[in-house]
Parts: sequence; C-alpha cells; structure tokens
Amino acid sequence: MKCEQVGELLPDYLQGSLNAQQGGVVEQHLMECADCRDEVAIWKKLSILPMEQPSEASRERFEAMLHAYQTGRAEKAESASARGNRAAGWSFINWLRAPVGAVAWSAALLVIGIFAGNYFGASHSGSSDEIAAMRSELTNVRQLVVLSMLQQQSASERLQGVSYSQREAQLDPQVVSALAHTLRYDTSVDVRLAALDALSRHGSQPQVRKDVLDALQQQQSPLVQVALIDQMVEWRDPDAAQRLRNFAQTPNLNPTVRQRADWAVSKLN
Amino acid sequence: MKLAPDEELMLEVRNGAGDTLGVLFDRYHAPLYNFYAKLTGDRTLSEDLVQEVFLRILKYRQSYQPGTPFRAWIYQIARNARVDHYRKTPKHITYEPEMSPPVMPKDAAQESEEAALLHRAMMQMPEEKREILILSRFQELKYEEIARLLGCELGTVKTRIHRAIQELRQVFRQLESGVIAKNSDSAGPKSIPPRRAGNEM
Repeated sequence: MKCEQVGELLPDYLQGSLNAQQGGVVEQHLMECADCRDEVAIWKKLSILPMEQPSEASRERFEAMLHAYQTGRAEKAESASARGNRAAGWSFINWLRAPVGAVAWSAALLVIGIFAGNYFGASHSGSSDEIAAMRSELTNVRQLVVLSMLQQQSASERLQGVSYSQREAQLDPQVVSALAHTLRYDTSVDVRLAALDALSRHGSQPQVRKDVLDALQQQQSPLVQVALIDQMVEWRDPDAAQRLRNFAQTPNLNPTVRQRADWAVSKLN
Repeated sequence: MKLAPDEELMLEVRNGAGDTLGVLFDRYHAPLYNFYAKLTGDRTLSEDLVQEVFLRILKYRQSYQPGTPFRAWIYQIARNARVDHYRKTPKHITYEPEMSPPVMPKDAAQESEEAALLHRAMMQMPEEKREILILSRFQELKYEEIARLLGCELGTVKTRIHRAIQELRQVFRQLESGVIAKNSDSAGPKSIPPRRAGNEM
C-alpha cells in the first residue's frame, strides 16, 4: 500500500476508529515506512503539550459579568413592567437571593444608575431608543466588568481590568473617570502606568486629556511622573506647557523628573 | 448521580434560568481557554475571549435551537468571537512565541525542551492548520463535529488533518535539527531556549 492511501486512513487510525482489517493494513505499512511512522509519532508526541489552565480569577469575572447582565436585564424589564414581562421575575429574585459579593453589588448599583439615567434621561423613549439600548447593552456589560475589576483587592486583577478596558474602541465616561481615578490613586505603580497607557489611546476626548493633566500633581512615583510628562508632549496639549512649568517648580522634585519637565516645556513652546 | 446533558441546561438558560449558565461555564471554560491559548499563544487574550463567549451565549441564548448539540454551538460561538476580535484588532505579527509552555517537572528537562520545540512548531504553522490539529487532538471533538463546525465534508476534514500532521512533522523536525546542530556547535548548556534556530535554516 502506498503512503497516499495510508494517509487517507491515518486520521481514523489515530482515533482508533478503523476496523481490524484496515488497522492491520496501516500497521503493516507503518512498519515499513519511516515517514508515515514519524507522522504517527508526532501526533502522539502532541500529548506532551500541557492543557492550558485559565486563571482563578476567570470564574469570578464570569460571576461579575453574569450578575451585571442579569441585573441590567431585570432593571430594563422592570422599567417595561407594564407589559408584564415574566423574565424580570426570575433574574431579579435570583439575583437578590444569590450570594453576591462586593463585585456584583458595585456592578449592580452602577447598572441601576446607568439604566435609571437612560430611562429618565430619555423621557419619551420610542422603539428606536430601545433598539439602541439593546445594542449598547453588550458594551455596557463589558464596561461594568471593567469597573468592577478596577475595584478589586489584588493588583493583578485591577491590571486585568485596565487591559480589558482596552478592548473597547470607545470609552464610556464612567470608565474614563474610573481609569482616571486609578491613574491617580492606585497603590500599584504598574496599575497606574497601565491606566495611563489605556487612557493614552483616547487622547481625542478632552476629558481624558484633562484627567491626565490633573493626575500629574499628585503622583509620587518618578516613573509615573515621567510617563505622564511624555504623554503630554505626545499630545502637544496647549494647556500642558503652563502646568509643566508650575510642576517643575515643585520643591523636592526628583532631579530627573525636573529635567524631563523642563525638556517637555521647551518641546511644547 | 447522572449529570444533566449540556443541551438540557442550555434550554434552561434559554428559558430564563441565567444562573444555570454557571454549570456550563464550569464544564466548558477550561477547554475553551485551552483552545484559545493553543491557537493564539496569548493568555490574556484567551481569558478575554472565554468571557466573551459566555457573554454571547447570554446575549444570543434565544438563537439556541433545541436539539442542536451544545458543544458544536459553543465552539461555533468561540470561533466567531475570535474572528470578530481579529477584525477589530488586527493581529500583530510576532516572531518570537509569546507563550512558552508552563513549568514542567524538574526531572523532565528533555521533555520540556521537546514541548517547547513542539509549541514553536505549532505556532509556526498557518492558523487554519493549527486550529484543526487543536480541535482534533486537544478538544476531543469528533471528526464529524469538526466537519459541521468548519462547514465542510467529513473526508475534507480527514485530508486536512493529515496535511496538518505532515506539516507539523516537517516544521518540528527542522526545528529539532537546528537545535541539535546548534548544541553541538556551541556545546552550550542545553537549557538555553533555541531562540535563533528558526532563522538559521
């Protein structure tokens, strides 16, 4: 038998689904043909690649997503309760009953805020508004997950929250303000730097630029200070020069940072 | 105790029992993660994509048709989620594997080196070949399921698997000979990863 014909049988042989006669033919060929034997060897060798295991935070993140989603739906259904939507019943009750952690609660409160805001904001919501709301639902849930992750205890989870926010093309104002808060107050330098990186992609939003400018004054870490200064130079923000000039006067400033600020001022002028 | 079949659970989710999705998450998130991690070589992205799959299940649960095998359905969603991700965020080409295999037992240095090589060989293959190998070898999908998933004939699936094995073998043996040549040249310690082996050919 030729390699080509054996090749047709090989996938079934590897899954052990050939009948005895065909299996015998393949094995006969394998004894004679080193190339085909090597193909089987490679297939078997693949078993040394370990199964990749997701991190433990994965389940937590799923829970947060599920609760945010259910709560969001419950709220929406409630606002349309005149129609007697039964779907609201289960999710709302289950949600109340479920052992919700701080993550879910914070997400829940936020989602209530968002939907209440949407509902009262658009006083005469027509059907086109509803479609738009449904469309934005997916994005909202993702952003809620970001928001709740940014409030986690562990720095690595907050870091994940920041990196998750980068999957969005457009940032919701709440996410922007949460990232700005992280940039200012997070205890970990890594998380602050990541937050700056995430915000830097949205320099076209004036609020983002303002937040980055405002963050400089309170930074203690020279690493973050320099990163902030560089970002301002990159954006060529007209307000930045004056701020940096003031900043360079700050007493006890790290000399490298002061030098960087002076350099930035000369660049911006 | 007999476990409820996936399809039954998914019908519950479809009919509004959102919490039931947690059971399906427990069953599928690790295999899906393994699928993504082996396919993309990027752990953070893989975690994100797994979350995206379950978000989509919630979102599109009404589109689940009773009687559809759940496994096929979830893998379909998984493939779409990845395609959509790359549409939004174009792939950046990396020449170094982003992900090396996790820590191995200390006494298995030989095996660990082989695993690293095999991993690199996998990552050097075209994506569709890598995908079909992962689906058939690691995700325990039957060839019939893969055929349905990829929308092609059963025979085509077998042919493609065979071609993928041939290519993997070729790439792997080339990498291996590069490493052996390098090791005998420099007589350096074996534990140094064979980074440049690929360029020397």
